[in-house]
Amino acid sequence: MFKKILQSLSKSQQAKTQTAPTRQPSGPMPMAPTGAATSRSNAAKAATAEAPATPVGPEELCGIQGKMSKDQIAARLKLLYRRFNRSASSLDPKVRDEAEKMLTAIVSVREKHFGEI
Amino acid sequence: MAEYVGIDLGTTLSGLAYLKPDGNPEIVPNADGERLTPSVVFFDGHEDVKLVGSAARDGGEPDRTIFQIKRHMDDPEHLVEIDGKKWTPAEISALILAKLKRDCSKIIGDIQEVVITVPANFNELARKSTIAAAEMAGMKVRRLVNEPTAAAVYYAHSQGVQGRILVYDLGGGTLDVTILDVQGDSIRILTSEGARHLGGSNFDELLLDAYAEQYSKQTNAKLWSDERHRRRILHATEDAKKMLSKLQRVNDTVSNDSNDGIARIDLTRDSFEKMIRHMLTRTVLLVEQALDSARLKAAEIDHVVLVGGSTRIPKVKQVLEKMFGKSPKSCGNVDECVALGAALFAKRSARIQEVCNASYGTLAMVYNAKTGEEKLLNSIVIPKNTPIPCSRTQIYQTSEDNERVIEVDITQGEDEDPRYVDIIGKITLEVPPNRPKGCEVAVTFSYDENQRVRALVVDKQSGRSREVAVSYKGAGVLSEDELKKKTVSLRQMRIE
Repeated sequence: MFKKILQSLSKSQQAKTQTAPTRQPSGPMPMAPTGAATSRSNAAKAATAEAPATPVGPEELCGIQGKMSKDQIAARLKLLYRRFNRSASSLDPKVRDEAEKMLTAIVSVREKHFGEI
Repeated sequence: MAEYVGIDLGTTLSGLAYLKPDGNPEIVPNADGERLTPSVVFFDGHEDVKLVGSAARDGGEPDRTIFQIKRHMDDPEHLVEIDGKKWTPAEISALILAKLKRDCSKIIGDIQEVVITVPANFNELARKSTIAAAEMAGMKVRRLVNEPTAAAVYYAHSQGVQGRILVYDLGGGTLDVTILDVQGDSIRILTSEGARHLGGSNFDELLLDAYAEQYSKQTNAKLWSDERHRRRILHATEDAKKMLSKLQRVNDTVSNDSNDGIARIDLTRDSFEKMIRHMLTRTVLLVEQALDSARLKAAEIDHVVLVGGSTRIPKVKQVLEKMFGKSPKSCGNVDECVALGAALFAKRSARIQEVCNASYGTLAMVYNAKTGEEKLLNSIVIPKNTPIPCSRTQIYQTSEDNERVIEVDITQGEDEDPRYVDIIGKITLEVPPNRPKGCEVAVTFSYDENQRVRALVVDKQSGRSREVAVSYKGAGVLSEDELKKKTVSLRQMRIE
């Protein structure tokens, strides 16, 4: 049912910047070092840079909406915690700072909806 | 010669244990008579000597004192510069390991092979750096073992327990939560989750803020103006934290280094618990994540075991007791059990089934033929918690006609959203021209017992392939040649 097509980060970025309706054959590419230093994907850095300048509350940061049930909130927090706990150890200081903000927001939302520990 | 030796190379304290002939592990004291050695290195400016341990911690020159180097073991660019010479985190750690080896060898005989413990969430670079540090210190690493696994091995050995054990390891710098199943002599790890930069030193920093605030209120002055004095106060906050685990109220008197007066610091356990509440909530979230990863409920855990100095905080025990409905048990001496467990592990590793600590995969455009949806995803080849050593293959297709170079990103992380995973390497494979898109490519990842990753890409039509071990480049990463040179140089250093 699923077809999986290899799509490296450089190719996916290349595809985004291409304006022609048909994609050109990629041709030989310069060989990247096989052992690159650990890096968070550029997409994540872009997402960080796109963060809104105006301050938003913890619930907004976590994408919690008024109509969500407790189970939905718990599931959302679980996903966000797993994601940003991992980002908190990134080598990119921007990603790390963003993760810290998100972890603080996750704790606030949890305390609001499920009580303090 | 000591055959089975385990070393806990900790963020704040390190220890070495060996297995006695009766099968029980024992901590070996250092030459200063201490069972545990502070993981601190001091570079003396007058003599060509490196002090390691308590003498280094109390040396007093912050510019020449290196604390908590373990927190930088995964940073390929981190370097420490002393007197114009640059030191990598692995080299600093090697000095700590060399002190342990030299001191303890005098008591138990020569030490050649060791098991070293690492946090469960240490990545490949940090693991490689740890192995390099041991080699520079003149020791071969028999295995790396995750700290909570070592602690659980010791707990199971000393208490003779069976069943599912959750180990909550809150150390100086990290929190690890591991769930394992013990049946007789066999131990099966079910999952390990970790949180970096969440440990006792974070609590000390919060107390430091409280000290500074109270001092400023009473004297209208700043409590410290330089790093040396800040370190002294930080040391005092650590003592206050320990006292608050025994007493409800602690008083201290502090002064700054500008004669602005003495202030009386008043702390209660209640106020301390409020200070660290958010941090503890994060630890609960990690425990929940571990239960979720192991597909278990709190009620299905038979034993909750505490490891690490910060688990002496009464609130930690209360929180876990509330969560599991049973009283958590301390793993003997919470500071020593990791080293003791590592010594046991050295002999019993064949009976211990560990798991892959992270998911590994590649980026792929995934088409759902049923719904017609397509999405760029992190396509996982080896899922987290797969028993190791392991090797898994997934088949992908090329994306373009006449594709000459196949590029495979190596990802680490569970998130299916590529923005939230690390790209830890890349393989490029040249393939023959003039082929249509849709040619099959097999991507195989292998994960060894020391939790290091290899990737193999095979173009099925042409049979061409390329294999790489994930490796790292950066100013703080030593090449093989550099490693050999540093090993020789370190053997000639005076380390006290």
